[in-house]
Amino acid sequence: VVPLVRLGFGEEPERQLREIVRLILVPMLAFATFLGLWTVLAPRHKTKSGEVPTPAVVWDAASHIWKFHVRESRKEQAFTLPAAERQQELVAAKERLSLLVRYESAAAEQVAEAESANTERVASAVTALETRRAEVAAEIDEQRQARQASLETEAQQLAPGDVTSRQAYLDAMRNHLATTEQEARQLADFDSQIAAARTAKSPSLHRANATLTGIVEEMHYLRTLIEQLEVGNRHLKVEREIASLKTHQKEFLLASAPFVATAAQQVLQAESRVNAAAMSQYAKPWTLPMQIARSVACVFAGFLLGTLIAVPVGILCGLSETFMAAMTPFIALFKPVSPIVWLPIALIIVGGFITDPDSHWLIHTLEQLPLIGWMKINPAFIASAITVSLCSLWATMVNTALGVASVDKDHLNVARVLKLGFWSRLFKIIVPSALPLIFTGLRISLGVGWMVLVAGELLSSSEGIGKFVWDQFNNGASDSFAKMMVVVFVVGVIGLLLDRMMVVLQRLVSFDGLEASI
Amino acid sequence: MVGRILSPQLARTGLSPIVACLLLVIYSIGATGCNDNTAADLSGLELDDVVLEETERTVSTAEGSGSEPPQNEPRGTHQLAVEKNSLRFGFIKLTDCAPLVIAKEKGFFQDEGLQVEVIAQPNWKTLLDNVISGELDGAHMLSGQPLAATIGIGTQAHVITAYTMDLNGNAITVSNSVWEQMKRHAPELAKPQVQHPITAHALRPIIDEKIAAGEKLQMAMVFPVSTHNYELRYWLAAAGIHPGLYSATDVGGRTEAEVELSVTPPPMMPATLEAGNIQGYCVGEPWNQQAVAKGIGVPVATNYDIWNNNPEKVFGVTAEWADKNPQTHVAVIKALIRAGKWLDTADHAGNMIHREEACRILSRPNYVGADYEVLKNSMTGFFYFQSTDRRAMPDFNVFFKYHCTYPWYSDGIWFLTQMRRWGQITESKPAAWYHEIASKVYRPDVYRQAAQLLLDEGRVDTKEIPWDTDGYKPPTSAFIDGISFDGRDPIGYLNSHTIGNKDNAL
Repeated sequence: VVPLVRLGFGEEPERQLREIVRLILVPMLAFATFLGLWTVLAPRHKTKSGEVPTPAVVWDAASHIWKFHVRESRKEQAFTLPAAERQQELVAAKERLSLLVRYESAAAEQVAEAESANTERVASAVTALETRRAEVAAEIDEQRQARQASLETEAQQLAPGDVTSRQAYLDAMRNHLATTEQEARQLADFDSQIAAARTAKSPSLHRANATLTGIVEEMHYLRTLIEQLEVGNRHLKVEREIASLKTHQKEFLLASAPFVATAAQQVLQAESRVNAAAMSQYAKPWTLPMQIARSVACVFAGFLLGTLIAVPVGILCGLSETFMAAMTPFIALFKPVSPIVWLPIALIIVGGFITDPDSHWLIHTLEQLPLIGWMKINPAFIASAITVSLCSLWATMVNTALGVASVDKDHLNVARVLKLGFWSRLFKIIVPSALPLIFTGLRISLGVGWMVLVAGELLSSSEGIGKFVWDQFNNGASDSFAKMMVVVFVVGVIGLLLDRMMVVLQRLVSFDGLEASI
Repeated sequence: MVGRILSPQLARTGLSPIVACLLLVIYSIGATGCNDNTAADLSGLELDDVVLEETERTVSTAEGSGSEPPQNEPRGTHQLAVEKNSLRFGFIKLTDCAPLVIAKEKGFFQDEGLQVEVIAQPNWKTLLDNVISGELDGAHMLSGQPLAATIGIGTQAHVITAYTMDLNGNAITVSNSVWEQMKRHAPELAKPQVQHPITAHALRPIIDEKIAAGEKLQMAMVFPVSTHNYELRYWLAAAGIHPGLYSATDVGGRTEAEVELSVTPPPMMPATLEAGNIQGYCVGEPWNQQAVAKGIGVPVATNYDIWNNNPEKVFGVTAEWADKNPQTHVAVIKALIRAGKWLDTADHAGNMIHREEACRILSRPNYVGADYEVLKNSMTGFFYFQSTDRRAMPDFNVFFKYHCTYPWYSDGIWFLTQMRRWGQITESKPAAWYHEIASKVYRPDVYRQAAQLLLDEGRVDTKEIPWDTDGYKPPTSAFIDGISFDGRDPIGYLNSHTIGNKDNAL
């Protein structure tokens, strides 16, 4: 951006242009080449578990993910919408639905057409292959019979005890068997080709099917939305329950002696139902944007926890060589441990403290918090956060220790001259001069944490990006690969943003004007 | 406002502005936190004047006639006073989770006043652990899981079930190369339309070859106490192939095995088969049809062939949860019964009219997520054994017919006999023990309560519920080997098999 601004002010235009080419055009070209290569190469690699998605397919998958999110959010809204807006939504939804009903029959026709065309094509391809196979089989049969016949005649000509001719016969037989096996393999190849031809689908059928699926999905969504607006809405539910409460109250007031008790009970039950209806929340499934937010929250929780441990311990390590010596074995021992090992341990430890998550005070408090309450923080989340901190705190710890140990001796001498106490020496001299290195450590830690988190969530099935990837893998649908590729980019971009954020913080604290590296 | 009130106080106490800010933040969090739970408009709660007026009017008109007992007007659903109205249920990505998903998507849970989240779990172990830890309220479980948890195979916890989710729905798939070898050894399999059921006899020579080469055939199932494990073992043992025994020291179940079985989560099956780690597996749908669609394996036997209409999945909750939330439990079972009935609703010609819609719903990424085309095969009553061999299997998935949702004691006893047969129950037990455990885990009382309510609401027919059963199905010999099973005589059944543990009647 800097060269662009400078160019705007007419400052050394030639140099700025060169900079622009180097800093903006070159990366863009590289990325475009990458996309191009991807587009060309992806369709060439076919496995039985599916095709490698092209960028276009990945883009499609991303838009599907987004659509899913938008629809679920609209449904959630429909749950809480007040009467006036509800009517509006309802009209719009019904209009769209009636439109789609018309589209659906057209799409279904298209599918039927494409299907019949496809069957025809497949049938012709299969018959072609089959006739070819029959020809080859006949040929093979003929050859085999010829070989067998020659072997038989040879056998009759064999003189008893003639070693050389018998050896030759043995070789001929071996050759015959090998050829037979090879022929069988050839036929099996044909069979698998035929099987592949049978299951082949034309792209037009694929497209028609996709269109129909899209329409049917949207119709289903609209029907649920309409139901939600007409029946499921919270205000309506509360109204219904209040009406029922009123009838019960009436009955209670009129009830004769033997029925008073039951009527009273019914009134109380109706009351609690009104309350329950008023407090009810829409059970929204997790969508990728929500999962991303939860993952980011998880990584920061783990990062904060790790920092709270790593920075004090690191400072102590830097201050005292004895303490450093005491800590070295732990650092050396625990640093290389993989998140996959930490996670089950963390899960067991957290599970021990929180035996009943429904009624635990910590979970309850966290649920009441405004920004993160909806994330439904559970033991799996806490365990993932702990795993993140256990894996990421080492970089901060080592860097802090290094930073504290390498504080300028002159500064410390000045502190001694000023007769500063321990605390003011720590907070006025040591920590400020160690800050740049501490932040370098924190930056590495955050990067490591973000990398570790996906594995952690995947194992603990804590809602987040990792769980999304695992679910997609488990779905095994035709677009699952593409959705996983979307996640690659999402994780990359968020990792980049987190890193940039740390760079900015690092620059803010490094008073010696040191430029942070990329 | 809060700030203005607070700041003089803070100034007096000499707190620094930073602390003040922190306090403010905490206050505001508290305030918004409360706002979140604003009570609804509860104006109707008191016996207010309006009601009183109305009542007076009614009294004056109904003077002398005496008052009627309060009766529930026939509303759509009689909502129970549920203890807990937002629930979290777990499931594994298999088509037989359908009753849970349908009950949510078709609004049956909502009719009961329940807001339900249905959450995919990575494997059966995590699912069970999450139910036991209270992270989930209940889940789609393997029939063996509540029994095994209750008697302490694996994780120990008292888990119960009041609802069987479906019958059948599994198949055994072998890899292409094993299928080729089977065809070589049993030429009748090479025909395009093979005679079913295929027994494991054709596997015998392959297994012998492998053993001679110092290897064992590797096959996978989904969980040690899964129906799949018992079905695969049953299928092998019915052809005289020993699938191995569990014992106190061998928790892998490979003692004396001629074929080694191992655990792989359902969605991983096709990939593991393709990678060549295993040569066959037994799993629920859509993972067998997936193997056909991707051309990596051939289903050889469905569990319908192994045991006609065998119980498959159940809806399990912990006994503790059920004791704490009895009304909620009944409400959930009500919704599930309706979902099962919806799934099996057929027109006069016997076509199941809701299955395609169910497949559309199940194919969403947050449910089963597999392609609609793949799900549709088995769910709409068809099954591809090979890409050329599509057969009608109307009972491949049964969700309601044949009184299947009822929690039968005899189903539980069959699973217990299998656990004993293969040594997961390490010592012999008297027949009475089998009945005791089955009645501890299977809870028809809850089911009947729910069914009665549905009957009153006119949502089920009286003949759709087995009202006067003692919980034991009549003896059946619809097994691949024709051996008869009578739930009342577990020991006798155990002793009628050649391979596996046998017990003396006590």
